[in-house]
Amino acid sequence: MEIVHVTEAHELTPEDQRFCEATKAWFKIDFVPKMSRVLLTVPEFGRPYGRASRRAMTDGALSRGQKELIATMVSAINVCEY
Amino acid sequence: MAGTTHAVNSVADGLRLPLEFTSSPRIAVVPLLEVGAEAPEVKTVFDEIRTFYAMDYVPAVYRWMARDAGFIQGYWTAVREAFIDRKLDRLTKEILAFAASMTAKSDYGVDFHLREARRLGLSDAMLTEAVEVVQLFNTVTKIADALQLQPDFPHAVGNR
Repeated sequence: MEIVHVTEAHELTPEDQRFCEATKAWFKIDFVPKMSRVLLTVPEFGRPYGRASRRAMTDGALSRGQKELIATMVSAINVCEY
Repeated sequence: MAGTTHAVNSVADGLRLPLEFTSSPRIAVVPLLEVGAEAPEVKTVFDEIRTFYAMDYVPAVYRWMARDAGFIQGYWTAVREAFIDRKLDRLTKEILAFAASMTAKSDYGVDFHLREARRLGLSDAMLTEAVEVVQLFNTVTKIADALQLQPDFPHAVGNR
């Protein structure tokens, strides 16, 4: 189990809730990932981190699919189940 | 290719094999087979490796493996089959191997796979983006582990 309370999306500020809605659309899912909510627990960290993430994961010289594969590889090497 | 990359890197770094493309002070802690002294069946493997990587010498990690002809024949074939163009192209696989090597902090792997990816067409922009993703996910995986976050998709098809 998580060792911290994972904030519910409706507990976030309106600005952060809008970002969470964009996150749902980005991933084509109907819920806000725990990581997004955890990061926004400290908005001063989570907001710029989220912007950097979105920028980095967008199609560019590498496709979004290639980037997701890299993310999967990093997660596997780090044995991160999440 | 994740498994073979991680394993080859572990052998190379564990035995302190010198980097292939960057000068390094590392000295192998084991003797390596001298090219030319190999058995005929190993020479065939060495020739394949040189051709596959467009190198005029045999990487140290394979010179180590060549101590056991049967082993290198099987392992090299597996590595080659893992890295050849299939549904993923060879460049993408080398980028993934580079990402795995960075994450595992493998000097040998970073040196080897960065050179190979460059040879296959990795541009500066592609490298920048790949490293950004490695950095992002080395951040969030550590946060997730530290907080013991449970997966968002615990029962999704393909997750197991």
